[in-house]
Amino acid sequence: MSAPSCSVGGEVGGETCSALANSSLPPPCPKSPPEYPDLYGKRREAARVQMLEREIGFLEGEIKFIQGVQPASRCCKEVSDFVVANSDPLIPAQQKSQRHGRFWKWLCCGIPCLSLASFCCCCRSECSCHLKKPKCCIGSKCCGGSCSSNSCCCSSCSCFRCCCRSCPDLSCCMPTCFRSCTRPSCLNKKKSSCCRCSCKIRLSSCFRCPKLRLRCCFCNCKNLCSNPCCLAF
Amino acid sequence: MSVSELKERHAVATETVNNLRDRLRQRRLQLLDTDVAKYSVAQGRSPVKFGATDLVCCRTLLGHTGKVYSLDWTPERNRIVSASQDGRLIVWNALTSQKTHAIKLPCAWVMTCAFSPNGQTVACGGLDSVCSIFSLSSTADKDGTVPVSRILSGHRGYVSCCQYVPNEDTHLITSSGDQTCVLWDVTTGLKTSVFGGEFQSGHTADVLSVSISGSNPNWFVSGSCDTTACLWDTRAASRAVRTFHGHQGDVNTVKFFPDGYRFGTGSDDGTCRLYDLRTGHQLQVYQAHGDGGGKLPVTSIAFSASGRLLFAGYANNSTCYVWDTLLGEVVLDLGELQDSHKNRISCLGMSADGSALCTGSWDSNLKIWAFGGHRRVT
Repeated sequence: MSAPSCSVGGEVGGETCSALANSSLPPPCPKSPPEYPDLYGKRREAARVQMLEREIGFLEGEIKFIQGVQPASRCCKEVSDFVVANSDPLIPAQQKSQRHGRFWKWLCCGIPCLSLASFCCCCRSECSCHLKKPKCCIGSKCCGGSCSSNSCCCSSCSCFRCCCRSCPDLSCCMPTCFRSCTRPSCLNKKKSSCCRCSCKIRLSSCFRCPKLRLRCCFCNCKNLCSNPCCLAF
Repeated sequence: MSVSELKERHAVATETVNNLRDRLRQRRLQLLDTDVAKYSVAQGRSPVKFGATDLVCCRTLLGHTGKVYSLDWTPERNRIVSASQDGRLIVWNALTSQKTHAIKLPCAWVMTCAFSPNGQTVACGGLDSVCSIFSLSSTADKDGTVPVSRILSGHRGYVSCCQYVPNEDTHLITSSGDQTCVLWDVTTGLKTSVFGGEFQSGHTADVLSVSISGSNPNWFVSGSCDTTACLWDTRAASRAVRTFHGHQGDVNTVKFFPDGYRFGTGSDDGTCRLYDLRTGHQLQVYQAHGDGGGKLPVTSIAFSASGRLLFAGYANNSTCYVWDTLLGEVVLDLGELQDSHKNRISCLGMSADGSALCTGSWDSNLKIWAFGGHRRVT
């Protein structure tokens, strides 16, 4: 009797070919990979040890150094002597006469500030200094307009804000979109911080964020104001 | 040597390092016989007293449309550069409040900016991990795009801070989230030196701030998320000259004291500290009380010209304490003054002549503060 022939998927004598094949071969016994020496790990460990031993040298040097270091009181004296010996424009060294004090005030308030190196000015928003205020509204006051405290009569802005008319306050000024975004309209008068635009630029790089122990991926720009590190920024 | 032997050596070396650090700490404590405040009180120093209109907001610089993150003065000519979340650098004439340049940045996520000593170029860096240099004499297109003159690439993390080496327009130093600081040659765009890193002695976490000594430009200090500040000598980059411990949180900001031999720090632990470069001593801790027990992170600091005043911005709405550095007391809060900022003050800078302080805020504005009265201090 000839050995039963077996084609793939065929049956011989009531048993499948695969069953016949399995019974004649030992079960698979895959070998474990050979134990290669972990050279990378060893080298890193050696480098760490070397760094620690170098640090030991540095610390021993520092301990020797500190034996001859002066106490903190000497350093405090140096600080104090330096501060007292040097003038400070924000703290006059000696009291000026009342007349001189009035001179600074006369110079600053109501009179255009001279181009002094020092900022002597006490210019406030009411001062008629030579400053040119931007035409955007500042707080509840409008520059040159006849507005009530709650309305804003901005015309075109000379700064980077686009003021919209009849806005309750500065917050409705929408920033111009300059990151490949179309100019937004002032749809939402309450929130000014976000441009409603779609970015044409898609960034797929991931940033490692400051002071965070995770990476934020900035993968697409749905909102100009979203930033990859919104938790820290 | 086998890996297990190496691990054993590692454990022994770690214990030795810890013991030595402890000995060093103990020895330093013995040398701290006083601090600046106690010394000044013993000397009979009178406190600085500000009247209601002595320090005033002189200018409000309007123009950014996002949080202001960084600012820098020119050494002369009273110009300021500021960097904002709106992705622009703006150069201001501080006296007239006029904008002279508005540079749209290739990467909007900028964290730092700096003026070159000659005032002709500005540098900035941020989450793109590069430091970009712009020439102010280049012509901008209608969008405000100015071509980048040079890109300093090589950091493997965000660029948190940059500063030009005083009197050298061709060199600047950056700090980075990759735990290193780098001295760059701006002319070639190449790194001259790297300070710290994986296998060098230095910071072990993100570096957030640098300050270069005005009296000795070979020295600079850095502050890091590893709670330490380090002193570096640019001529010897292999290791920090000295490491300053004490803070219990990220050191967000460092600034040299005007004499060049001390420096101040500001930290997430809510304190500012004054350290001595040459001895390593911690000379003073400036800790506010109230406001959550004085735990408000300090975002930025600046010293007045004499060093008598320390301005410190905190991570809450507009608080900027003015510390009397000698007596260790808060003498003023700029946030309480008229025309103060409406949000966190993120950056501070003193003008070269010490006559004005510029503050930048998350309210998108910059403000300039100057002296508006007269006072005698004894």
